[in-house]
Amino acid sequence: MTFNNNTILSIRNLNKHFGKLYVLKNINLDLHKQEVLVIIGPSGAGKSTLIRCINRLEEPTSGEIYFNGEKIDKNTDYNKLREKIGMVFQRFNLFNHLTALENITLPLKVVKKKSDEEAKKIAYEYLEKVGLKDRANHYPIQLSGGEQQRVAIARALSLQPDIILFDEPTSAIDVELIKDVLDVMKALARDGMTMIVVSHEMGFAKEVGDRIIFMDKGEIVEEGEPEEFFKNPKTDRAKQFLSRIINI
Amino acid sequence: MKGLDFKFSLLLDSIPILINGAKYTILFSVISIFFGILIGLGASLLKISKNPILKAIGSTYIEVIRGTPLLLHIMIAYYGLAAFNIKLDYFTAGVLALSINSGAYCGEIFRAGIESIEKGQMEAARSVGMTYGQAMRFVILPQAFKRVIPPLTNEFVAMLKDSSLLSIIAVPELLRNARQLMGTKANVWTPLLGAGLIYLVLTLPLTRIAYILERRMAKGGI
Repeated sequence: MTFNNNTILSIRNLNKHFGKLYVLKNINLDLHKQEVLVIIGPSGAGKSTLIRCINRLEEPTSGEIYFNGEKIDKNTDYNKLREKIGMVFQRFNLFNHLTALENITLPLKVVKKKSDEEAKKIAYEYLEKVGLKDRANHYPIQLSGGEQQRVAIARALSLQPDIILFDEPTSAIDVELIKDVLDVMKALARDGMTMIVVSHEMGFAKEVGDRIIFMDKGEIVEEGEPEEFFKNPKTDRAKQFLSRIINI
Repeated sequence: MKGLDFKFSLLLDSIPILINGAKYTILFSVISIFFGILIGLGASLLKISKNPILKAIGSTYIEVIRGTPLLLHIMIAYYGLAAFNIKLDYFTAGVLALSINSGAYCGEIFRAGIESIEKGQMEAARSVGMTYGQAMRFVILPQAFKRVIPPLTNEFVAMLKDSSLLSIIAVPELLRNARQLMGTKANVWTPLLGAGLIYLVLTLPLTRIAYILERRMAKGGI
């Protein structure tokens, strides 16, 4: 198949079954370099499963994913792939036994084979980027949810991925701390990071999202520009969903 | 009928011999828990493996050993192997039996410890490009080790007591020495109570430590 060399990710006819559950139905999707794609939809829509198929935390049942023009299949080195595809989780998933700094240096040392000194230098750089240099020696348990998530973002960034997947990055964070996380994500978007963000943060989607996808029951139901989508959703399912989240 | 023939003066006389036995009890227990932990770690990794053959090996070992008595393992190591001309001295046979036995129990402790670490830790480690082995070594096991310290301490306490079964192959450990004292001193209760006292001196502080660690971990997460 041919690719516009601006395309970083192509998903073709992707299907995923969990036993009898049919969670992703024939998904097709292209992502351009530096694009910020926001995925919204009710829980159980398959949003998380979709992005987890991209870095192969889930194995798709059928269909193809092309990353940088190369098909991801059984011959792909998943570990190498994951160095290029960062992920930020809903529950942060910082390594609990390590400090903020060590959370970032560990993958640099183990995966990127950096020296301790080099790794620390890089880690401080990225902690500074997310505004948490002064928290370097804190353990996750000593950090707020918002701070943990920013460290997690720094950890993902430090490996210099081509794309970062965000799986509901703000939904486990206290409301008053969400802004700090979103600010970091917005700065990333402006710096040209390619991002797929599963999130219901409308402000974020409108401000830096290039495109929005609405998923329901394993399908992509609607796709469009964020501003337009939130103002004039075309499908009934999207209208219904939006009316519910806006009324909260 | 002798009744309760405990004599304090006899106890003082017996103490050096009992302590000599206790030294063996401790020596066998420390060496065997060391190997038991190594074997247990290996067994737990086999048991949680996705490879069905490795998994079956780990599970079978754990189930067979836990389903049969330690006394049997000791007798197999000493008499059973000797039938194949593998003649182990009581020290080697004792350590072998205790290690293999405790390996199965440690295996279950490690498995529970590893499985108690949230799934997200493994996913996060894999998502930054670590292999399964790297994720285990650098992320999962360091956290699991902390959690298994209390149950491993309890396992060590059990080992201190159960090593008394080594008296069957004439290891001069605490209870065996007590039994010999019963003969040489023509007294039943003094050596038995003396041995019991020493077991308690060894086990009570450890049990207490395990309890405190358990409480602290229940409060503080990890």
